[in-house]
Amino acid sequence: MSTTETDVVARTRAEPREHPSRRPDSSDCQQDRSAREVHPAPDRYRNAIGKYKIDRLASCISCGRCAEVCPQGVHVKPGGYAFTVRPHDYQCVGPECARTDRFCVALCPQKALSLRRNPSAECMGDPRWSSDLILATWHEAATGHEPPPHLECRHGASGGGFDKLRFKFEVEDPERPAQVPAAEIDTGLDLNHRQDGRPQVHIDIPIYGGGMSFGSVSIHTILAKARAASAWNSFTCTGEGGYPDRLKPYDDHVITQVATGLFGVREETIQRVRMVEFKYAQGAKPGLGGHLLGDKNTPPVARMREAVAGNALFSPFPFHSVYSVEDHKKHLDWIKEVNPRCLVSVKVSTPTDVDMVAVGSYYAGAHIIHLDGSYGGTGAAPDIAKKNIAMPIEFAIPKVHKFLLAEGIRDAVTLICSGGIRTPHDVLKAVALGADGAVIGTAEMVALGCVRCACCESGRGCPRGIASTDPELMMQMSLEWATQRLVNLHNAWREQMVDVLSRLRMKSIRELRGRSDLLCYLSDEPDLAEEVSR
Amino acid sequence: MSALAERLLADRSRIYSREEPVLSERAAEGGCGVTGFACTVPVGGRFIYEPSVQMHNRGNGKGGGIAAVGFVPEEMGVSREVLDSHYLLQIALLDPSCHAELERRFVLPHFDIALSTRQAHLDDHRDIPGLEVRPPDVHRYVVRVKPDVLERFAVSAGLTELAPQKLEDEFIFRNSYQLNDVFYASLGEKRAFVLSHGKDLLVYKLVGYAEQNVQYYQLEDVKAHVWIAHQRYPTKGRVWHPGGAHPFVGVNEALVHNGDFANYHSVCEYLRQRNIRQQFLTDTEVSVQLFDLWDRVYGYPLEYIIEALAPTTEFDFDQLPPEKQLVYRQIQATHIHASPDGPWFFIIARSHQNRFQLLGITDTAMLRPQVFALSDSGQVQIGLICSEKQAIDATLRSLAKEDPRFCPVADRYWNARGGSSTDGGAFIFTVAPGQNGQSGRMQLSCSDKFGRAFKLDSGTVRCDQATAEIRDKESASDVAGRLERSDVAALFREVQDLPVWPADRLRRFCREVIIGADDPRSRAAAIELLSLIHDRRIDTGDKRRATVVQVLEEALEELFDSAPLFGEPAVRFWRRITWATRDHLLAPEPQEELLCIDATGFQPEGDDCDAVLLRKAYQAGWKRFAVYRLRGQRFHGAGLGPGTDGVRIDLHGSNGDYTASGMDGLEIHIHGNAQDQLGQIAKRGKLVIHGDVGQTFMYGAKGGEVFVLGNAAGRPLINAVGRPRVVINGTCLDFLAESFMAGDPHNGGGFVILNGMEFDRRGRVVPLPVPYPGSNLFSLASGGAIYIRDPHRSTTERQLNGGAFFDLDDKDWRVIRPYLEENQRLFGIPIEDLLTVDGQLKSPQEVYRRVSPVKLSVLAGSEEEE
Repeated sequence: MSTTETDVVARTRAEPREHPSRRPDSSDCQQDRSAREVHPAPDRYRNAIGKYKIDRLASCISCGRCAEVCPQGVHVKPGGYAFTVRPHDYQCVGPECARTDRFCVALCPQKALSLRRNPSAECMGDPRWSSDLILATWHEAATGHEPPPHLECRHGASGGGFDKLRFKFEVEDPERPAQVPAAEIDTGLDLNHRQDGRPQVHIDIPIYGGGMSFGSVSIHTILAKARAASAWNSFTCTGEGGYPDRLKPYDDHVITQVATGLFGVREETIQRVRMVEFKYAQGAKPGLGGHLLGDKNTPPVARMREAVAGNALFSPFPFHSVYSVEDHKKHLDWIKEVNPRCLVSVKVSTPTDVDMVAVGSYYAGAHIIHLDGSYGGTGAAPDIAKKNIAMPIEFAIPKVHKFLLAEGIRDAVTLICSGGIRTPHDVLKAVALGADGAVIGTAEMVALGCVRCACCESGRGCPRGIASTDPELMMQMSLEWATQRLVNLHNAWREQMVDVLSRLRMKSIRELRGRSDLLCYLSDEPDLAEEVSR
Repeated sequence: MSALAERLLADRSRIYSREEPVLSERAAEGGCGVTGFACTVPVGGRFIYEPSVQMHNRGNGKGGGIAAVGFVPEEMGVSREVLDSHYLLQIALLDPSCHAELERRFVLPHFDIALSTRQAHLDDHRDIPGLEVRPPDVHRYVVRVKPDVLERFAVSAGLTELAPQKLEDEFIFRNSYQLNDVFYASLGEKRAFVLSHGKDLLVYKLVGYAEQNVQYYQLEDVKAHVWIAHQRYPTKGRVWHPGGAHPFVGVNEALVHNGDFANYHSVCEYLRQRNIRQQFLTDTEVSVQLFDLWDRVYGYPLEYIIEALAPTTEFDFDQLPPEKQLVYRQIQATHIHASPDGPWFFIIARSHQNRFQLLGITDTAMLRPQVFALSDSGQVQIGLICSEKQAIDATLRSLAKEDPRFCPVADRYWNARGGSSTDGGAFIFTVAPGQNGQSGRMQLSCSDKFGRAFKLDSGTVRCDQATAEIRDKESASDVAGRLERSDVAALFREVQDLPVWPADRLRRFCREVIIGADDPRSRAAAIELLSLIHDRRIDTGDKRRATVVQVLEEALEELFDSAPLFGEPAVRFWRRITWATRDHLLAPEPQEELLCIDATGFQPEGDDCDAVLLRKAYQAGWKRFAVYRLRGQRFHGAGLGPGTDGVRIDLHGSNGDYTASGMDGLEIHIHGNAQDQLGQIAKRGKLVIHGDVGQTFMYGAKGGEVFVLGNAAGRPLINAVGRPRVVINGTCLDFLAESFMAGDPHNGGGFVILNGMEFDRRGRVVPLPVPYPGSNLFSLASGGAIYIRDPHRSTTERQLNGGAFFDLDDKDWRVIRPYLEENQRLFGIPIEDLLTVDGQLKSPQEVYRRVSPVKLSVLAGSEEEE
């Protein structure tokens, strides 16, 4: 149609009524660069949890020797103090230190110091999100950089999935040096490959934040995610609890989710963003809709959703308006009509015919196909569902990637994966398997201090105030601190991704897509590496 | 299972070349568009063309098929006697070089051939725009099984007791299976396959859109009583194949299907236990195999077949008479694992003992859209079944254009209630010779699953008759004068005399109105008046209501057509825009109030749809819109954003899905029935529907004031929150206001007023048999209320799940009264009539009941759980 909206509007009024995405992106980025800066954001609890524990006996004479030798700052004897303060043992790197000449335990004249694993740390986590991974993620969020070697930051201990995959060079030549200067490596992605006249949307890192509703998490958590996404020119997603007004400054970095309960979804919230996500299913609980227990449905949450406070809120499964692919297309057509500039992402779980679902979504008009695998999910997903339904994501990605290639449409659609993406290494493996990028959820929560206690849904929610809208609990975390933690996390992840890409001699993450030939699968014999079958 | 049926099935092992059936992934397939009609006169294939085109957006051009039943003997090149007695064996030759071998092996040895003919087709398929894959050559044999062959078959199969007719059917069935087995392997080489082999029934399919069959095989003028079509939306593979397209056949029936089974493998297993194997690996193939098994092999009556497909459950089961419950329980116990689980809707065309039938069957949960319609002009009768009402209208419109015996508007449109005790979720149109057995004059009957006849109650005199031309204003001065004074009420009162008017008077009156509308005031009055006559259920007396609607629709179109296009000299009040002039849109001049959008030619969705044009016009400053000649276009009123108070959109014609979705302030009037997914996430504003509304209406709505003259189909107001306030004067199929969360109705929250009424032919409201027939009312709701007109307290606790009945109090009445007053103003349904029960005026407390939520443990927080 040659009558453009601008022509018509120009004749009638100076102020255009509806231009949600017309904002100068470049200047945003300029401004954001400084917001990306790493600043220390140490643990917010006085007695932070570390991997190791240093015990000091009463025989200590406070000679201060330990404080002199420790390079990690575990032992501190502030000037003018007669005693060394309680060890900051969360900074201790553990037995490795014994190989150096600065090992406090060996050097203590009184033999008053001893080192052991911290039992609190040991009881955190689970094989997938191991204690080390949680501690490593905290370290990344605190410092903005890769954690020291005593924390395994690349994989968990599940014995499957991404934990069994390695880049070949990690096995064959672990010391392979960087081959491309870090400054030359691009980790950005374009998200619109349809060439349908809708705007291009670029993200600077190949990840964005998953949907977490207001109600499931606190406003601080939501805003911190949005601010970090804004700083890194990426996205966060509303989830289906509505669009809090305080999110408005970050419109360009927010994805409005249209999920089966349609909570808080209004034309306004669809029109103000650059991307809309349809949540058809969740990998952690395929066949189930969202579920907010009554206790977490506090009056502010209920107001946002226009529901009745104190009542559990169920989202149905599936969309009552979509039972087939032609319904699906109509559904997408509708949202595209409401916001003529937005990109559309379709989030689905990974059933055995996920390749069909992906192709169907492409033909229905999706810009992004978002596969959500079964490893994800917080405490809100029932245990019976988590990991027990649908296909593991590392199977689903290559299945869909290859199918889209065979259909000749791989380059016309963006494939994003989620569901258990815990580390930058998981992101890279997913990309090598065929994804363009990834969505993260739990990793951001861990960066904010989550201990994976899985109490997200009980009572008023998270004891650490992350996944809670309880006015007292949520005040445990300041917005500034939370934002910095996530900004740091993204920096640490990007650095690690750049490091691997450099060692793979790649200048862009886009070169890695589909290069499953670079991966190997660890068999149960730890020293036998087996190639991933094509 | 009788011993004979058991023997028949067991003996089929002979035709299976492999030990075990191929178990394979079925072809992936989503939804589709389906349509069909049955008519007392045979009509050309071009009439299935129009509805198929209208449902393009339900397919993707990768598979389309049609079937027809009840041909004209001369057109088939055979006598009536041959057509009635012989089978039409129609074969798709993908590789024409195999024809001789095929004929030698599967035709010549078995059949007496009355006719062997090659189906005509266009020389070059590329002459049809968009048809990329060459359709198969089609060869047709008109055959009967040679008597000696049939006898040998009976003896060798141990089926000598089988009636000769059934024996021959079984022979045909097996021969085709073996033919396909040799020439068509779903996972291997594909050279030829049987399209159809029934009596007086033909199937065509290709890789493309359904209507391209009509074009390619030159069926425009080939006449038949029943036509069905299917637009397929397959998603797998780059190479598609006509073998996978619908319809699929049993023997004397062809089935098209919209939907998807979750239990495909379970159904296959059931069939396998009965020695039935698949060749085409689609849901649709197994559906027709079930039908064929229960119909032809087991000999079940249609009612039992429908029960086996879509079982009656829950509250509906309890409503059945005990003797039916006994039978149904047995059917369910035996066949439940063959009942397709998931969303599906079947349309079946069949020839059955020289009758022609069209069946529509919906699943128990009614998850697919479906509309039935019936039209009877006295001279011709036609029954229609479709995924969308607009496609029904398209069929009728194309018929009426060529044949004045048809009316472009049906006499009745309705939805079936899946697996219900009320209609069983299925309707059957049967075309059969008239009662006196005159073969030339066929009659159409319509019945539900239970065999209860569905009858029309309407006048028969047509109003759509030519009338003397009125050219000047003088002859219309009386009407014109009153229009100038905006005396719509007086003019409308005049129309109340319609029962005694001569047949052509209505059209004459409309002409006078159009001619009289020559200044801003009278134009506005004319639109209001004609809309009012169109929308209100006035007493039409002996006049056929469908033709009244038709005349008014045409009059409104003519009236809107008289508005000047952009670029033409301005007159006050209105402007018009069309597909051809869409680029000339301008902002309104000071005295221009109304933008008339002629929807002809606009796409149903995407950048070229008229809803997008409307949005642009709104951004340019237009506030009032009349969209007319709608042909299924979608999304009207969506995308205008918040704060649209003062905007009014009137929709005339066949409006499409998602209308008014997301509305936030504006006002939409739908003049006629509405389709599916209306008012999704609606926030604020007013929606008036002068008719019925389709599936999942107001899903996730936050607010808005909504008035529905007729019924809502399945699942209205699911997950609605905030303060939606809805009056439904009819009823709903089921699942009204599930998970409703709309606060406290006494303090600004939302509610639904369900009146459970319908109109009789005199235009008076009368109560439906029950105000709400469904099994689920207000289930799992945590807020809001349902106000149900239920003076006889026929709605029971059993229909609730988490709600409870309460007596109406004064506060309730104060809340709902204003809505009933507005309802009266809009639809002419007096509150007094609603409060009158069996001729006696009652108090609101005696007539209405409130359903409110009670706190359920499943919804409560942990504190309450202790």
